Amino acid sequence: MKRTIDHLPPENIYTVDPTRRVDIPFWEMPVPAGFTSPAENYIRERLNLQDLCVAHPDCTHFVKAVGESMTGDYIFPGSILVVDTTIPVDTGRVIVAWVNGGWCVKRFVRKEDMILLESSNEAYLPIYLHEDRDKLIVLGVVTYIVSKPPKYARPR
Amino acid sequence: MLAHVDGKNFYASCHCIFQPELEGKPIIVLSNRDGNVVARSDAAKALGIKMAQPFFETRELREQHEIFVFSSAYELYGDISSRLMSILTQFAPEVEVYSIDEAFLQLEDYGGMYPTYQGLGQAIRQTLKLWLRLPVGVGIAPTKTLAKVANKLAKQRPDGVCVLDTPQTIREALEAFPVEDLWGVGYRSASKLKKHGIKTAAQLRDVPDDWIRQIMTVNGVRLVHELRGFPCKLLEAGPPAKKCICCAPSFGRLVPDLETITDALTTHLSRACEKLRKQDSLCGSITVSLHTNKFRKTPGNGLPAKQYNNSITVSLPHPTSATGELLTYAVSALRSIFAYGYAYQKVGIMLTDIVPGDYRQKGVFVEGPNEKRLALSSVVDKLNHRFGQDKLRLASQMYNPDWPMKPAYLSQRYTTRWDEILTVS
Repeated sequence: MKRTIDHLPPENIYTVDPTRRVDIPFWEMPVPAGFTSPAENYIRERLNLQDLCVAHPDCTHFVKAVGESMTGDYIFPGSILVVDTTIPVDTGRVIVAWVNGGWCVKRFVRKEDMILLESSNEAYLPIYLHEDRDKLIVLGVVTYIVSKPPKYARPR
Repeated sequence: MLAHVDGKNFYASCHCIFQPELEGKPIIVLSNRDGNVVARSDAAKALGIKMAQPFFETRELREQHEIFVFSSAYELYGDISSRLMSILTQFAPEVEVYSIDEAFLQLEDYGGMYPTYQGLGQAIRQTLKLWLRLPVGVGIAPTKTLAKVANKLAKQRPDGVCVLDTPQTIREALEAFPVEDLWGVGYRSASKLKKHGIKTAAQLRDVPDDWIRQIMTVNGVRLVHELRGFPCKLLEAGPPAKKCICCAPSFGRLVPDLETITDALTTHLSRACEKLRKQDSLCGSITVSLHTNKFRKTPGNGLPAKQYNNSITVSLPHPTSATGELLTYAVSALRSIFAYGYAYQKVGIMLTDIVPGDYRQKGVFVEGPNEKRLALSSVVDKLNHRFGQDKLRLASQMYNPDWPMKPAYLSQRYTTRWDEILTVS
């Protein structure tokens, strides 16, 4: 008999979202002389960005970034972060977390018995967290970043 | 075995997901029009705020303590609820969604994955805490009624899980469980039972079937059997269609004129018809009601204001669900009961005689419902679902009218609106 609970890896857990609509192209081709369309065998589902970015629809939050502390990780003001709550937090992950009263996006680093929240912009200092002094609540791990391309500035 | 999973102070907890600073603080959530308290956090309960207490009565407490107030944010609760239910399906194949924050899980043939029921309960709790940041209680027992009992007990335990799986544990639990807290025992049944000296669930379990049938009809017999561990209430995967659909919210101010009341009636009717079509039904009669505010005093002299309440039921020639068709009857019904000279508080519409959507019966003098109009209504529903509520509406309905009550303590709809999602720096 097993004494501990087997933890399923979250990537093995998948729920079907019946509300998600998938467009399947319908190719209506008149067949004038018995010659079928050569493309008919290659019809596939249309691509959907949700399938790419959202592995666990029930455990995903969309979060908007403000501020420039994470520009090194391609997170710019206005970027939409796809945050997955099922992924275990570990050193190196970019997380969305609530620290001492406010939400932030930072890189999570465990250093001995301390936790470090690093920014990826040199102008910002890392935040040191002590277990007995600070409160950290993790919403989830950032899995995708949705941004518009930056505005083009003509070089002078 | 069945598991009953129940969100702990669900509405208040939903707000805490995105505002962790509120955890452990007194939070109250108000009813649809900010009238009453419908949910409280533990800290708010400790302050003595009662369920369904009128909001204005809490003013003194709010001045003394820091109490966080929210108007009900059903979009947020609904979305968190659907996430909760969907995650629960990963623990058991059959899940009955019993209410917005409660579900029954069928655990038959499922023991293998977790070593014990206690372990399964813990896993459900931990997963929901980690993935959804939502606290829940889990009660596991052989019947629905016992699972509900187990859940009540789970809430008093630090680990939040209670398993009643042996005759010994069930007996101990029922002996200490007051009969009025049982599922399906209302205030009246409880006082009847108490008159006969039945105070605990264990006493109720041991009464003879014939006796309880006289006191509480067949529902009482079912309850007693459930307490003995024989399932009588089975898992209902698909909820039964509603027999009556009602929509009667109050105005935000007092309204004297027929024109505004007609507009409100049109809005309420559209909302009720959407619900009717969503469950694929037709309705055979409608009731329109009109009320003044019974608590209002006349300004100046402080005497009770003059009152007028009336309602009328109209039977339709044939059941239908087309908003346009129903509106004709509703408006003429309203005209027949409307009286000038009163300040009205609300107008209500109720759809009754509900039959399945494929019901057609032609009378001698009447055709069936207008099929084109039924089709039109379903197209309207689809468009509004896609582009937003009331984007396509009847011409007699104002867009963004000023009569509805505007909730005063709105919160962000973090999961359903792009412009209201969480921001991080």
